[in-house]
Amino acid sequence: MDKAPIREAYIKYWLEHGRRPVSVYTFCQQLEMTEAAFYDSYASFDALEKDIWRAFFEETLEKLKEDETYKGYGVREKLLAFYFLWVQQLRQHRSYILLQKEKYLAPPLHLDKLEAFRIAFYDYIRELIKDGYQTGEVKERKFISDQYVHGFWLQALFVLQYWVKDDSEGFEMTDAAIEKAVNLSFQLISSNTLDSILDFGKFVFTKK
Amino acid sequence: MKEQTNIPTGKVERATRFVATGVKVGANYLKHYTKKLIDPSTRREELHADNAEDIYDTLSNLKGSALKVAQMLSMDKGMLPKAYTERFAMSQYSAPPLSGPLVVNTFMKTLGKSPAQLFDSFDMQAANAASIGQVHKARKWGKELAVKIQYPGVANSVRSDLRIIKPFAIRIVGMNEVDMDKYFDEIEGKLLEETDYKLELRRSMEVSAECAHIPNLVFPVYYPELSSDKIITMDWLQGLHLKEFLARRPTQEARDKIGQALWDFYQFQVHALKRVHADPHPGNFLMREDGTVGVFDFGCIKEIPQEFYVNYFLLTNKEVLKDEARRREIYTNLEMIHPSDTEREIEFFSGLFQKMIDMLTLPFTREEFDFGDEAYFAGIYEYMDHLYNLKEVRESKVARGSRHSLYVNRTYFGLYSILSELKARVITSEARIADLTNG
Repeated sequence: MDKAPIREAYIKYWLEHGRRPVSVYTFCQQLEMTEAAFYDSYASFDALEKDIWRAFFEETLEKLKEDETYKGYGVREKLLAFYFLWVQQLRQHRSYILLQKEKYLAPPLHLDKLEAFRIAFYDYIRELIKDGYQTGEVKERKFISDQYVHGFWLQALFVLQYWVKDDSEGFEMTDAAIEKAVNLSFQLISSNTLDSILDFGKFVFTKK
Repeated sequence: MKEQTNIPTGKVERATRFVATGVKVGANYLKHYTKKLIDPSTRREELHADNAEDIYDTLSNLKGSALKVAQMLSMDKGMLPKAYTERFAMSQYSAPPLSGPLVVNTFMKTLGKSPAQLFDSFDMQAANAASIGQVHKARKWGKELAVKIQYPGVANSVRSDLRIIKPFAIRIVGMNEVDMDKYFDEIEGKLLEETDYKLELRRSMEVSAECAHIPNLVFPVYYPELSSDKIITMDWLQGLHLKEFLARRPTQEARDKIGQALWDFYQFQVHALKRVHADPHPGNFLMREDGTVGVFDFGCIKEIPQEFYVNYFLLTNKEVLKDEARRREIYTNLEMIHPSDTEREIEFFSGLFQKMIDMLTLPFTREEFDFGDEAYFAGIYEYMDHLYNLKEVRESKVARGSRHSLYVNRTYFGLYSILSELKARVITSEARIADLTNG
């Protein structure tokens, strides 16, 4: 069945009560569905929360893929467009995200809330990087380039954190942060700077 | 794509690009000021080598007085080597590009539609950079349009930049903090105004309507329905920036006409409107060979208070200045003489002011003035240099000059420097100014 109504109802519950439903049972009563039907979609509230994050991401990606201009973009621009739209998307659920923030921001332990999103994001980035090899925007480096995804994940977390704390008008500082972060990352992975850093690192560690 | 494959090469170029977009808080800054703190004597050379021209521009304005005007003028020619000056001028119209997605995002956020939806065509590649954003070329209604887009978060970075440079600036200029505050307020206010595109749009429309009658000036039509607080849409103006224009070897007649138009434009604003386009850098004018000049970018407008206006222009009145007591009164009103000055200091500084004012107001006392007169400018630069090297001037810790003089002076020096580059012969008589003001 379609999981979207469950996600929406769950978000609404949070917005109205500021906490988790006491049990799946009470939550299902409000939704007028059976508990069994809920478990068909989600095994627990944790799974549901993870899926909400994944859904934010997937919705963004779907919108992007429909967009004609997006198709014409280079890899760096694609990633920029993704972040801008993602943040727009998150904006509609800002209250929910702020209510939940301690769960995924503060202690690294709770990052598991973003797990499903992370896996989907990694797939997306891997694809972008592969395209980047072809356009020359990303330089292929043995062993190292497989690690790029982790870097971009940290970047996504940075953007998220920045946006959560952003109090500028229209979240314009987040826009600036995205622009700068993405430009920096692409300059690093396309130019020789990174090679020089690696070379230097290797030199320092192998010298003695 | 093209924007990002060429990373700007030279260190200075890269840094100027950063400065130009408001990403000013960088290593260059800190390095620059730290160096200066450690070794103040390296001042000018260090400045050339490093890239804080924008800040230097701000800083050199800080004492704001007629004396410190020396440094302001130097921005154009005097103390800084010519090559460097040219690079600085260029930096005013070449900033790092906003990415395509950011442009689209800005449209979506502030106008609710993408550029493709709003215009018949929209060039994603920026045509050139504005001071805090960039200009794109677009087409709609069969017309070519210029669309100026602001970099996000500029207002924030202006504030934080000023906070960062303030303590350094105080040390470098050697002024006391209270005096410095009045200039900082003025600068911060003006810089913040420049980030307000709604205000700029309104002013642009007002000023261009009020100045429409001045011959040979061309103003673009503005389109409020295609503008927001981050976007301004106006007609695309044809023409060349000063440097390129001069490279085409325009006739003396064309240069005179443009010079006259600019002179009239500024006199009319100052004397009739009492508010002035206070940013006369070459990037804001587009010149054509038929002697017309396009004017845009009204982000920086200085409103001139009546009281300041009266005193300031009394300085151009030879009769008034002959009266010693009266003169002192004017100097005091303009805060060029500080309350803490001793009689000897008053004497000393008054003498310096007088000489400089005589030199600078020379065009006003003539019927016609040839701004191509190199001896005239050479004389000014020489005197400025002389002033700058005077021990008394360098060691004076007080601020000289009212906060309003900061931008009014800057305006006049900007105008003079453009006219001098143009080598224009301009009718500067009072009668012409009076005609403009009353007509």
